[in-house]
Amino acid sequence: MRKLIRTVFLVDLLQGLWVTLRNQHPKHIYTEQYPAQRPKVAERFRGAPRLNINPDTGETLCIGCNLCALACPENLIVVGTERDPKTNRKVLTTFTYDTSRCMFCGLCEDACPVDALELTQDFELASYTREGQIWDRQMLEEGPRPTQYRS
Amino acid sequence: MAGSTFLDSSELVLNMGPQHPSTHGVLRVILKLDGEKVIGTECVIGYLHRGVEKIGENRTYVQFAPYVDRMDYVAAVSNGLGYCLAVEKLLSVEAPPRAQVTRVILTELNRIASHLLWLGTHALDIGAITPLFYTLREREEVLKIFEKYCGARLTTHAFRIGGLQYELYDGFEEDVAKFCDMFLPKVDEYEELLTDNRIWVERLKGVGILTAEQCKAYGVTGPVLRAAGVAWDLRKAQPYSGYEQYDFDIPIRQNGDTFDRYIVRMEEMRQSVRIIRQALERIEPGPIMAKVPKVIKPPVGEVYVSIEAPKGELGYFIVSDGSTQPYRVRVRPPSFVNLQALDQMCRGALVADVVAIIGTIDIVLGEVDR
Amino acid sequence: MADEQKPESSPEPVAGTPGDAKAIPPKPPAASPTSAAKPHAPKAPAVMATTPWESSLTELLKSHFGDSITEFSSYLGQNFLVVRPEAVNAVLEFLKLEADFDYLVDITAVDYPKRAERFDLIYILYSYSRNERIRVKTMIPDGYRPKSATSVHLGADWLEREVFDMFGIEFDGHPHMKRILLPDEWQGHPLRKDYSILDVDRRWVQENLGIEVGQ
Repeated sequence: MRKLIRTVFLVDLLQGLWVTLRNQHPKHIYTEQYPAQRPKVAERFRGAPRLNINPDTGETLCIGCNLCALACPENLIVVGTERDPKTNRKVLTTFTYDTSRCMFCGLCEDACPVDALELTQDFELASYTREGQIWDRQMLEEGPRPTQYRS
Repeated sequence: MAGSTFLDSSELVLNMGPQHPSTHGVLRVILKLDGEKVIGTECVIGYLHRGVEKIGENRTYVQFAPYVDRMDYVAAVSNGLGYCLAVEKLLSVEAPPRAQVTRVILTELNRIASHLLWLGTHALDIGAITPLFYTLREREEVLKIFEKYCGARLTTHAFRIGGLQYELYDGFEEDVAKFCDMFLPKVDEYEELLTDNRIWVERLKGVGILTAEQCKAYGVTGPVLRAAGVAWDLRKAQPYSGYEQYDFDIPIRQNGDTFDRYIVRMEEMRQSVRIIRQALERIEPGPIMAKVPKVIKPPVGEVYVSIEAPKGELGYFIVSDGSTQPYRVRVRPPSFVNLQALDQMCRGALVADVVAIIGTIDIVLGEVDR
Repeated sequence: MADEQKPESSPEPVAGTPGDAKAIPPKPPAASPTSAAKPHAPKAPAVMATTPWESSLTELLKSHFGDSITEFSSYLGQNFLVVRPEAVNAVLEFLKLEADFDYLVDITAVDYPKRAERFDLIYILYSYSRNERIRVKTMIPDGYRPKSATSVHLGADWLEREVFDMFGIEFDGHPHMKRILLPDEWQGHPLRKDYSILDVDRRWVQENLGIEVGQ
């Protein structure tokens, strides 16, 4: 009997409609207006790589130890160093990072003993060419400069 | 009826996929049809094959961890947990309690996220569009917690061999507790939308039946097995990562049809919330990393370790030759084995039901093809 | 890029002599090659530190199969038995019917190219009623055709096809022994140790995709 009443009065349909109606409330809007409103990503977000610079001296923090290159599963980091004849210490010359093959696992960041290499909160990494995905030292130090669109 | 015309023996071979929205990826199913009835199917898989097992042989133990996330990408945390447990078993170390509790919380959150995506897409296949928006909205909250915790939303690489890399962020407990409070009424809401819905019931009841015996014969695990009445869950049967300390039920149903699998998964989400709430109370200060050597070189040996992933039993069989790289990594993917039963489930069903059946097995092609 | 290959020297089988020069995946064009080969210190020949496994089940199997089962061992609490290849199916069937190991979890293989019996074929079994997991292991030479387990466990179908696909082990009596993950016309079996990680079937790629390997 109860089932018949439910069937005749379309209770299941009304029930569903009531749920959707409740969810029409503006406080349930979750859409992000992306290019107009830039989302705030979490602090630990693993995005674009960056080579940190000592803010006081303007010199790179990287000591050229090559540990990040060894840690990388994809072998996409190449560190170029040469020895300073005066101090006999390794000095960083080049640093290439192929973001096209990077899977942002964060192992390089973990391996870095001096916190020089860091995956930052920048997430806009698109580029028109494959070559544009291979970042050199300058790009890594300055960070990407995506076009900012405004509505 | 004298003589037979060409109409009598009309067997039609229909190709479904690989680019078909309801195959959840790139699965190609060749259907043999008699009218609208399916009399046989054949799966063609491998479109997403990336050779994960081969990659594993050529990476160190630590380096391989991010790759396993990319198999079942909607349940990356579970994949990572299984791999870490397998290597930890080889090394004979155990993650400290704090790490274990965190692992449980994150894996259960991941189970919810995986089931939510399943529910949304499955309902979409059947024709109910609305649940997809709601489930993705709730899944977003889980992904936000992942992002805050480890910096990635999907392929998380959250766990490391021996414990965790990241300490819990400030406010983790509040975030998770808030999610649990928010989420339970939402499950009721989904059920309100679907469980009594007559179209939903008509489409799912009695479709794609797989009995307990058939499940065992095919090696099918996970919610599909539990919907057939076998109360088997690795978290209870062979507990890992401290699951024996938590109080939860294994939801089972008896009919083994698509509707029962839906009910089982809904109930599983509630049970996951229950586990998470208990785990939140168990978080205690302490180390998050066990004593693991910097260069991981397990002794010669082989182990098989499996966990209860959202889709079923996910196993890792690792052979070590004593070097820094695994000699062989074999992944026992739940989706791959479960998909094998598709043929059995589809026989006698209608073409439209094939879509429902593919949805109900809950496959992720990244894991089927590896 | 296509020719930049470092043949991977296959690691020693059981002896564990480290000889796995790491195959370097393709470099970005701008990158100069760095050596990723890791130094390995030679060490004493290592074998799996197994302990003998004895239980009522092993007694039962011993009395039933005698010499066909050569080893009962346990490693890190995981039990396995080594069976002569011709007896595998009988053992699987016996375990299923008499000892309730009714769930075939996985079939896989491991390649040891330097051993006379080149492949380890491993069946992982589980019993719902005993809540116990065992592995049945057998060693087979290259070209040996083990009997298919599909008659015992239905689920062996795809698993055996995958083993065939990846290792080239053909199973006798399998209903449709063909490739499963790779395309049907593919040449070579990728998980063999002599198949480098950079190897692909160049001809297949050229014919079907119309591109050169390596972009």
